[in-house]
Amino acid sequence: MRRVLSRLSSSFLLLWAVFTLTFLLTRFAPGNPFAQGRHLPPEVMANLMKVYHLDQPLWVQYLLTLRQTLEGNLGVSYKAAGIPVSDILLQTLPVSLTLGSAALLVSVLLGLAGGLLIGVGSPLLSRTLRWTTTLLVGLPSFLLAAVLIDLLALRGGLFPVALWEGWRSAVLPVIALSVAPAGYLARVFAASMEETLESPFYRTAVAKGLGPFRRITFHLVLPSLNAVLSLLGPLAAAFLTGSFVVETVFAIPGMGRVFVLSVMNRDYPLIMGTTLVYTVFLTVAVLLGDVLSEAVDPRVRAV
Amino acid sequence: MSRQSWTVQRSFWTGLFPFLLLLSLVLLALLPSRLTGIDPLSQHARLVLAPPLTPGHPLGCDFLGRDLWSRLVSGSLVSLAAGLGVGLLSTLIGGVWGILSGFLGRPWDPVMMRTLEIWYALPEILIATLLMLFLGHGLLAVVVALSIGGWMGVARVLRAETLRLREAIFMDAARATGVSPVRLVFRHFLPNVMPVVAVMVLFRIPGGILGESTLSFLGLGLAPPQASWGVLVNEGWKALPVSAFMLIWPAAFIVLSLVSFQLLADRLGRRAGVGR
Repeated sequence: MRRVLSRLSSSFLLLWAVFTLTFLLTRFAPGNPFAQGRHLPPEVMANLMKVYHLDQPLWVQYLLTLRQTLEGNLGVSYKAAGIPVSDILLQTLPVSLTLGSAALLVSVLLGLAGGLLIGVGSPLLSRTLRWTTTLLVGLPSFLLAAVLIDLLALRGGLFPVALWEGWRSAVLPVIALSVAPAGYLARVFAASMEETLESPFYRTAVAKGLGPFRRITFHLVLPSLNAVLSLLGPLAAAFLTGSFVVETVFAIPGMGRVFVLSVMNRDYPLIMGTTLVYTVFLTVAVLLGDVLSEAVDPRVRAV
Repeated sequence: MSRQSWTVQRSFWTGLFPFLLLLSLVLLALLPSRLTGIDPLSQHARLVLAPPLTPGHPLGCDFLGRDLWSRLVSGSLVSLAAGLGVGLLSTLIGGVWGILSGFLGRPWDPVMMRTLEIWYALPEILIATLLMLFLGHGLLAVVVALSIGGWMGVARVLRAETLRLREAIFMDAARATGVSPVRLVFRHFLPNVMPVVAVMVLFRIPGGILGESTLSFLGLGLAPPQASWGVLVNEGWKALPVSAFMLIWPAAFIVLSLVSFQLLADRLGRRAGVGR
């Protein structure tokens, strides 16, 4: 419990650090957010700068933005003029969350199944899977997405090419997003099981003649599960970065796409909003992973 | 007995194959114009989307009639340079951080490790994307952004290695003979961490290649007309409805190089005793 509290306090530190860094990066970035692709009369530009407080000294801007953010107000998007950032986030976050959690579920299931087959399957199967997972880990998600679109959407016509309408449009993005993490999970799980195979308690289970089901489930799989649970945080990060790419490829109106577009448009409030929301989610995911692995494995609690 | 020798042979081939592949990739990247003899930027209206095996253009041409083989070869140099650059720079940042943290001990070590943990919570691409805002387009910008995004793992490994070596007997012996601290570090310590440093560079190279191609694919990294594997995949993806091979070639290069680097890094890592 104390661990969780200290983690929480350090996540506030993280949020503040991310806020400050993002603020500085956006304010020192070359280029003007309002001068993209059009010429504005100087009076209009001056007015815009004034409305968004961009004419103030840097520290005034910093304190203003900090106070606004602490009050829960993320400001108004520069590009989609007048639309509050929180509205954009509320619209796009559920899409990304659905996509991410579906991909998490699929990759954990695939990863566990794959790891189990590597661990206890026949030597040939095990070796084939080992090679497959090596290849999968090196497969960028945009490549997989492009191949899937070409084969299953454009040629096969089985699934929609893009957009986010109904469950059918979620199939290809989820596959593209979950395959590489699943390969990684399978490798980690298999390695963890290999370690368990050497452990005294497993050899005891073998020696006392335990049936294969109980031996594998309770003495091999469960003790090895912790390696997978502690990966929950990094996995969340993987789905997040994957979603930048996959949402762009499939034109899904999610937060990853909003983030990439906001960076391209130099939409400062939107960049800040998405980055902060991402940071919150990452810390929550890491925290959840830690709590879960402590709950499952007493060995972690003891350390 | 027979099983033993078979294992050795297999690991020999799995080491040789990626090595040869990478060697040919590097040679390819370093000898561009001699191999192709075509300007990767020259366009020909008559050759737009020419299929592979068109005379003079073995891999075909893209939607502007530019030769794909020469674009791939010139892109290889950029992508491999990005990978190597990220490998070297992120190992330098992470190495300095980790070794300093390990050597300084209290009170600096906990502070530095805490900072590292905070930084580590953010994924590489998120940091790099934000940095690209500031750095602009270009190879150097991509390398710097990805290195600042991904040095933390290196720092962790090198801190652990430093803590281990600091207590090693040969270090004690050097200290006992009254070696100056500078000489201790440069003469006795650094040569002994070099194997781990080399492995970390190799570990980071695929990350750099993947990062460059991801950023360029999103349109945040290198900008066309400059070719890199990421830019080519981006163009190929846009042209996917009309032709698949514009995507297939760079995709194959990316996957093969990533897998080979990973296999080599895993092997070297196991030999140097560094797990991932």
